[in-house]
Amino acid sequence: MYGIAASIAATLLFNYLFTSPYYTLTVDNPSYIITFVIMTTTAIITSALTTRTNQNKIKAEEKESETKALYNLTSRLTDALDIDQIASVSAQMISNVLDCKAGCLPFNHNRNPERYFIQQVSPDEQIKVELDDPEALKYRILSLRSGYDITEDYFDWPIYGQENILGIIRIPKETAVDLDDAHKRLLLSMIENTALAMDRVYLAEERLKSFEETTQERHRGNLLRGISHDLRTPLSGIMATSEMLKDMTLKTDSRYDMMEAINTDAIWLHSLVENVLSLTRLQEGKLTLDKEEEAIEEVIDEAIRQIKKRAPEQRVNVDMPKDVLLVPMDGKLIMQVFINLLENTIKHTSSNKPITIVVDNEEIENKVLIKVIDQGNGIADEELENIFKPFYTAGSKHADAKNRVGLGLSICDSIVNAHGGEIWAQNREDGTGAELIFSLPLEGDRNGSIR
Amino acid sequence: MAQYDEVILIVEDDPQIRNFLCYTLENESFKYFSTGTAQGALNTLVSEQIDLIILDLGLPDFDGLKVIEKVREWSDMPIIIVSARDQDKEKANALDMGADDYLTKPFSATELLARIRVAFRHYFKNPTTQYQTEAQVGELKIDFEKRVVSLSGEIIHTTPMEYKLLSLFFKNTGKVLTTNYLLKEIWGTAYGNDTQALRTMMAGLRRKIEEKPAQPKYIITEIGVGYRLIEDK
Repeated sequence: MYGIAASIAATLLFNYLFTSPYYTLTVDNPSYIITFVIMTTTAIITSALTTRTNQNKIKAEEKESETKALYNLTSRLTDALDIDQIASVSAQMISNVLDCKAGCLPFNHNRNPERYFIQQVSPDEQIKVELDDPEALKYRILSLRSGYDITEDYFDWPIYGQENILGIIRIPKETAVDLDDAHKRLLLSMIENTALAMDRVYLAEERLKSFEETTQERHRGNLLRGISHDLRTPLSGIMATSEMLKDMTLKTDSRYDMMEAINTDAIWLHSLVENVLSLTRLQEGKLTLDKEEEAIEEVIDEAIRQIKKRAPEQRVNVDMPKDVLLVPMDGKLIMQVFINLLENTIKHTSSNKPITIVVDNEEIENKVLIKVIDQGNGIADEELENIFKPFYTAGSKHADAKNRVGLGLSICDSIVNAHGGEIWAQNREDGTGAELIFSLPLEGDRNGSIR
Repeated sequence: MAQYDEVILIVEDDPQIRNFLCYTLENESFKYFSTGTAQGALNTLVSEQIDLIILDLGLPDFDGLKVIEKVREWSDMPIIIVSARDQDKEKANALDMGADDYLTKPFSATELLARIRVAFRHYFKNPTTQYQTEAQVGELKIDFEKRVVSLSGEIIHTTPMEYKLLSLFFKNTGKVLTTNYLLKEIWGTAYGNDTQALRTMMAGLRRKIEEKPAQPKYIITEIGVGYRLIEDK
């Protein structure tokens, strides 16, 4: 507009000063009219171009300051070490850019608002403003449908992280209402950057936490293993000596029974220690299974021989497929599974009926099913689900009386799971006893790690 | 009770187990020396006439394996290893280095004495003068001249490899043979560490000689170490 007016004015002035008759707006030579038209057009075009350039310059400057602000924010956010620092940086930068007093309310680990806003009060000063009702605020933010929430004095912008709301940016209403598109865009980018930074800090914190937990777990495991290890040697001594003393005593002597009791308890403690050692080996987590192709019959044989040492009278039948069955496994650990299953079965089979082990590689493809079958009274329905859980003993009310923690079966569970198999218990339908069943994959990576 | 002439050296650092070993040997009227260190063991070996060593692998001063190494430089006296259950690698190493047998803690007096007897019998049996033509364990019989194996009088068809394996066991009744040793004897070194082949072959052999392959009467598995042909009681 100004450009057009100025062009016309310039033409008139030229007409007034330099064309004859001088100092009037009339012209003698009609060809001047054409000159005037051309002059005016040229002037208008020139002024329009200049204006455009000026506008572009302003836009570029805006863009530049926007980029600069974002860059500043990002670089300062990168230096921030915790959520509070991020909130503070973000509040300050947004205040600078929008020329207002912005606030930031970070959410904590439990995804709840902190109790205070970090509020900019002057360009160099921040205070913490206590929040009256964080729950109500959280509810408002969670039920938000548009990009921001409007209250009496403020506009609240939520900071969305990858999974959760990480915080709120609060802008005074008078600033927020007057925001133009460019500034709104800038504000959103800044909030986005803040979200990224907060996510990064939370992730880092979580990683640190889980690392600490693993370390602690490992220390605990080491301690447990150390103790078990140290218990083993004296227990071997007690077992051997008590057995010898027992053999040196006449069966009619009352000391015979005492010796036998000591021996039995020592044997039980020893098997507990062995179980704890297997468990700590598994819980190490970092440890890989010592997998090899083992002939399953050899493992069963050794397990039965170990069991026979403790229960010489127990008969065990084995039902094997005709062909040799090589199964990738950690032989020691799977042997422990057999020992524990057999021990448990013997414990719950009051009569001296034989236990049957069935090895079946046909029912499920690429898996071998191993069943330990007793002819006892079966397992109560409510216990079927739980017997492989840690520290569960059948009829747990009387767990103490039985002097056993349900470690054995839960270790079976851990070991079988680490092999990529499953373990469960069921009663036979005709009520003739219980079956403890586990499966092992026949193929798979040879040295699968426990994860 | 018969007085044995053989002298046994006990090397065990845990006093409880050492006492137990001493009592057991005393009960059987063996003569014995006992020490808690590897150095002590070597000293005793130099100063006394020892016929058999019972050796714990985890000694405070240095590794039990070194004792085996030293002893084997000048003597082939029986060495019985005593070790914890999770020391399979060490056990197998010790056996490959020349130990004769092993016992896993905890063990009973009966087990210990049985191993000592087996060790002595192998030690004093001189293979050159006492040429064996046949051997028998339970119903299982091997005829070295005819190269046939029979079970309850019936001839069992074995492959040449299986026969070789069985004859190895019969020459070492009651003794544990490590996987390494068997592989070397049967396939030679060229095949390296093919334990899987050995396992398959063992399983096949078991199906020929055992009534219940999963509860073998003759050749039992020592998981992680090797195999043993049991001997008649």
